[in-house]
Amino acid sequence: MKHRRNQQERQILGRVKHGEFIGRTSELERLVAHATKANSPALANGAQGLLILMAPLAGVSELLRQTFDSLFSRREEVIPIYFALPAAETTAVSAAIEFLNTFLLQYIAYRRDEPGLCHASLTLNDLLKLAPAADVEWIEELLEAYNQQRFGEDDRALVRFCLNAPARSFPRDARPFVMFDAVQLGAYADSAVPFALEIVRALKSGGNPFVLAGLRREVLDAMALAGGNLEAHEIMRVGQLGEEDARNLVSSTARRQQVSITEETRDLLVQQLECSPFFINAMLQAAGDKRLPLDSYLACERLYVDELMGGRLNRYFSSVLEHIAPQPQIRAAVVRLLCEATPQGKRSASVESWRKRLKLDSVAVEQLLESLHIHELVNCDGETIDVSGGSNLWRDYLKSRFRLDALREPRALVVADVIADALKRAPQTIAHHYRRAASLPLRELLGKFNSQRVPRSLFDFAAFAENYKGAPLDEVAAGLDEQTELMRLPQVVHTASGVSFSAALRQFGEESTVVAHAFGAGVYTNQNEVVWLVAKLESKLEADAALVGRWLDLLDAVARQSGIVKTQMWLIANEGFSIEASELLRERKAYGSSRQQFDLLIGRLSENSNVTQPADNEDEFQLIFPMGTDNEMLAASAVEQVARRLSFTPEAINQIKTAVVEACINASEHSLSPDRKIYQRFQVQNDRLVITISSRGILPTNITGNGEGEPGPEVESKPQKSDDRRGWGLKLIQTLMDEVEFERVDEGTSLRMTKYLRH
Amino acid sequence: MAESVKSNVRSHCVGTTAVVYASDYLNKLTGERIERECKKQLDSGARALVIDFSDTELVNSIGISILLGIIDIAEKGGALVVFSDVNNETVQLFEMLGLTRHVVLAANEQEALTSLSAPPTQSQAIGH
Repeated sequence: MKHRRNQQERQILGRVKHGEFIGRTSELERLVAHATKANSPALANGAQGLLILMAPLAGVSELLRQTFDSLFSRREEVIPIYFALPAAETTAVSAAIEFLNTFLLQYIAYRRDEPGLCHASLTLNDLLKLAPAADVEWIEELLEAYNQQRFGEDDRALVRFCLNAPARSFPRDARPFVMFDAVQLGAYADSAVPFALEIVRALKSGGNPFVLAGLRREVLDAMALAGGNLEAHEIMRVGQLGEEDARNLVSSTARRQQVSITEETRDLLVQQLECSPFFINAMLQAAGDKRLPLDSYLACERLYVDELMGGRLNRYFSSVLEHIAPQPQIRAAVVRLLCEATPQGKRSASVESWRKRLKLDSVAVEQLLESLHIHELVNCDGETIDVSGGSNLWRDYLKSRFRLDALREPRALVVADVIADALKRAPQTIAHHYRRAASLPLRELLGKFNSQRVPRSLFDFAAFAENYKGAPLDEVAAGLDEQTELMRLPQVVHTASGVSFSAALRQFGEESTVVAHAFGAGVYTNQNEVVWLVAKLESKLEADAALVGRWLDLLDAVARQSGIVKTQMWLIANEGFSIEASELLRERKAYGSSRQQFDLLIGRLSENSNVTQPADNEDEFQLIFPMGTDNEMLAASAVEQVARRLSFTPEAINQIKTAVVEACINASEHSLSPDRKIYQRFQVQNDRLVITISSRGILPTNITGNGEGEPGPEVESKPQKSDDRRGWGLKLIQTLMDEVEFERVDEGTSLRMTKYLRH
Repeated sequence: MAESVKSNVRSHCVGTTAVVYASDYLNKLTGERIERECKKQLDSGARALVIDFSDTELVNSIGISILLGIIDIAEKGGALVVFSDVNNETVQLFEMLGLTRHVVLAANEQEALTSLSAPPTQSQAIGH
């Protein structure tokens, strides 16, 4: 049963409004459902605890606060209690007393239906005075017992007493639901009382449903320490946000913080901050505080470096590091060890080597490594340490810290270098993201093979081109339907990126190659086992024999290295393959498909809009349209109308239209555009028409801003190769228009063309 | 004189000359359709091609590259190619890209057919 959030829910502990809480809706619903188990008979022997295993920086505190607000507003028997271990408290005793206080405060706030009380600072005696009549008796008893414990000598008994307060008897119409936020549990590792153990025991013995949230490695350790059976509890894994949720979070937080962003910088923030709600909030809060617009890569990277070297990001990483290694000398040595290993390409070191370098005894080194391991900054198995863990932000922080503290480099130099590095990296980060987003869904398609029969020509470009090149889609579809030569696809049982099998494939990107283990005819025998090696080739035109030969050799080598005996290679090139390449594919018994064949295959295996935006002023027109078949003609028609108003001659109008068409084709062909849209702006001025065509995506490498590198428009002798017949667009535009210039933008291209009126 | 509209490309034959009609916008898609039709006509024994642009308003650079490919194919097969009824703007474009060096231009289909019955040299442009 899905819990629908009431729009009237009160914002009590939540730091953002319900409507602005992004990306954790299903988790919230699950928590609320778990809480209501208090009313379910299944609780007697069902899973009472829900363990939230959080990836570092994934953020669970707001999720728990939102759950609190939701349950508080429902006014049912379940009384929500949210307690976050304070980072500032240093002892288990003080944290446990704080828990007792919070428990009573929130309990009474709920019973009185006064959410404001949750934020009050009240003593235990104040709380007793506020308690409803039905609760006075047990609270009085509780406080009496507490006062006796408080003046005793046994700290552990006091901690246990406080943590067990929710396990007491309550009036029939009230059952507490404790959500224990133990993200800061590591801060109590040195406490004389085994705090993690006491927390787990108290929650388990309470008999009520509960939630224990924390760093995944730490929670699992705590459960193991308490002898808990994990299977007796529900597990919720919370990782970083999905990309769409992260984009929404950036937009929403930017709005709330009144920070101006663009779609480009939004995507950069999402990628660079690795979809972490913590980092995203930290950066946008910083921008809001400083009233900084984040409307360019430069603005983002400047703020990033500020934050990394002295702001919220710095404070976070520094506090983690200080907790892991409280002594400055040891801390510096840890930074050095983590930094030095990386540039040499070493991913692992021995525990013994760390012990020697840190000059610590084995126990101290073990504790230090345990802390690093829990924060997932290293992976340690007791003997070796893999230092490749942690986010890119953590590595940036370490590097700058190492240069400042160990190498004593001037701060200004380090700051400048980090900004420059971040700026250089930004387009690569975005390009990587776009390549991933624009890549063919190879793995998904292979997963759908499932022994289905499809026309053989979908895997044979030469045969397909002979029958269908240039044919209308309905004719192609009808032809394929009539085709009698079918092939039965295998059943794919496992797919992975080729990069997982061979580092040599990394240069082509994670998504370009797939290794799929399959069985022919769905029969699981050695004879039927076959491994499909699939690659997407980068080629603007038909792939030639040389390219195909290189790929087949490369995939052969991958198969040999991996001990794969029976293979089936399948190459996919957007425009298909040249005649020679097709012959080579046949010789090597490999399949070859164009993008069109691939799309048709998708269609067989499974079963855009024009937006005219209001212009900023009456002499400016904007048109946004999707990249796609013939859509450039829409742009040409629009510009024709505008040019007519300015009384351009028919000849000039045609030149403008042709230039616009070519610019649109360029934008479509050259960019891995995330939104697949072309943005067109016409500015009418007294004696001229200025047209700007832009698209988001990757700046083409062959465009230098002045059209260098492209052949001249006049073809002296007829070009023999089809390659030579392409790439005329830019020169054509330069010939047809009076002024042409590229504007440098953070991503994509923006081509500005001007045509003057000549009567 | 049978007229074919298969593949959305209009064409007909006059003796051993095939007349193929280009659409209003010559781009990759429509260019490939014309290419396919021209190949089909040449395979069927046509000795000359007239590509008529009377309906064609706009040609893009990809369309032009495909036209060059058609000229190549025709040349290899010993066939002549004439472009007819090309509007002035498109002629300018063809000139810019050097296309007019490799093809005969005719004012209209009739003139193209006449020129082919008493063929001038390939480099000699007529009309316009």
